[in-house]
Amino acid sequence: MVPDYLTVAEAAKLIATKALSPVELTRSRLDRIEQLDGRLHSFIRVLADEAQAAARVAESEIVAGGYRGALHGIPIGLKDIYETAGIPTTGHSKVMQDHVPATDAFSVKKLKSAGAVVMGKLATHEFALGGPSFDLPWPPARNPWDTTRFTGGSSSGTGAAVPAGLVLGGTGSDTGGSIRGPSAYCGLAGIKPTYGLISRAGILPLAFSLDHAGPMCWTVEDCAIMLQAMAGHDPADPASADLPIPDYRKALTGDVKGLRIGLIRHFYTTDHEANAATRDAIDAAAGKFAEMGAEVSEITLSPLAEWAACGVLIMMTEAYAIHEANLRSRFTDFGENFRDRMALAGLFTASDYVQATRRRRELVDELDRAMARLDLVMTSAAPTEAPKIDAVGKFTLMEKPSMTMPFNVTGTPAMSVCCGYTEAGLPLSFQIVGNRFHDATVLRAADAYERAMPWRRRRPSL
Amino acid sequence: MTRQEIDALMARLGLNVPEKERDDLAAASKYAEDMARRVGKPRPAGAEPLNTPAFPSTAVGG
Repeated sequence: MVPDYLTVAEAAKLIATKALSPVELTRSRLDRIEQLDGRLHSFIRVLADEAQAAARVAESEIVAGGYRGALHGIPIGLKDIYETAGIPTTGHSKVMQDHVPATDAFSVKKLKSAGAVVMGKLATHEFALGGPSFDLPWPPARNPWDTTRFTGGSSSGTGAAVPAGLVLGGTGSDTGGSIRGPSAYCGLAGIKPTYGLISRAGILPLAFSLDHAGPMCWTVEDCAIMLQAMAGHDPADPASADLPIPDYRKALTGDVKGLRIGLIRHFYTTDHEANAATRDAIDAAAGKFAEMGAEVSEITLSPLAEWAACGVLIMMTEAYAIHEANLRSRFTDFGENFRDRMALAGLFTASDYVQATRRRRELVDELDRAMARLDLVMTSAAPTEAPKIDAVGKFTLMEKPSMTMPFNVTGTPAMSVCCGYTEAGLPLSFQIVGNRFHDATVLRAADAYERAMPWRRRRPSL
Repeated sequence: MTRQEIDALMARLGLNVPEKERDDLAAASKYAEDMARRVGKPRPAGAEPLNTPAFPSTAVGG
């Protein structure tokens, strides 16, 4: 009997010692999807036959002594903007529902090469922007902690499927918070790595200069395992960094002594006031880091609205350019959220876009100056626990400044980490951010905190 | 933006926005205008955008 919940690291240990069969593990996840996903809607497409075939191959390789590492035989899901050869990649949109790519995205190839078993394509907000929506070919994913609640987005299916134990890990993408938002609302760990660390080639773009691919898993350690497989230079992505990839799992020493952490409290106490439960949980997490030996000090940056304006303006104008032709020819084939957000982007002028890129340089320089004397900064990832799914407005992204967008503007690695639960049992989270290409330091601090706290012991009641 | 200005802009962009959604756009236009105002604050003429290419030192003989 395979347990309902396993982390990647736990399953890998069992698979490596032949105590767990990848075929049995995959079958158990397919059964769980069958049992639960009618309520969660985390999958757009379940690839049962393909997954079982891949699991059989993994098992025979392992039996023959060809164990590839911690992802070998591990069931994962792919956000449905990651292109998959011969399998539709829709962006959760009617506009691309018949799009069948000829090849896998670079990062998908790398995950498969590490032995991961792809269970299917996961729900997203339409083209990683327009959601939650009820007028698309597939329903929006539901939060497994309370199915009347929003998962966050846009990596909504991954946010729902991982905590529910339908997959052990999954992919997300993050242009303004689409990994960190659902990770916060659904209580998992999700890292938006440094811009350029994971290839964007073969991933449907939202905004070229802000798009990041990354993993979402139950634990920080699992994120390190998936990031290890996904990271690496790809000449097909003009922004891909050609740098050596460190051993992320080895960086998880459990030690944060001497790390200098700047706490950006004004983001969540003044600029976008978080509720009391969130504020208290983040302050307590900062206190925990201090107790574990980190040097925590409060820092002040430009108001959150400045960062959000810069990032949202760039995101919306770049997205508009990508979708302009279809917006003109088949406007109402898009869902209302996506199309109206794009129509609003039409208000921005060419000069506005250039001004935003000039502002971006100022803001990047500002964070670099602040981080010259720091290893990490931490702040909120979301202002509250997950709201009701029908309470999310069409223009919410523009009404209140996003807490995650600043680190898309800067391209720095940023991670959501669970830091407790509300009285109603909904997850709370903080965000921890490092210097560019110091993703290992982010993982190290997040993992040390996670191991020191009891939050990973709880899973949704389904 | 007024509803009339939204109508004119959508016509210029060639977007066939349903009638009932145009009032939503007019109401939300203040958010876009606020963002444009924030990023457009005066700065020196030489303040460069972030997308200026940075060439590796080897490419310039450094």
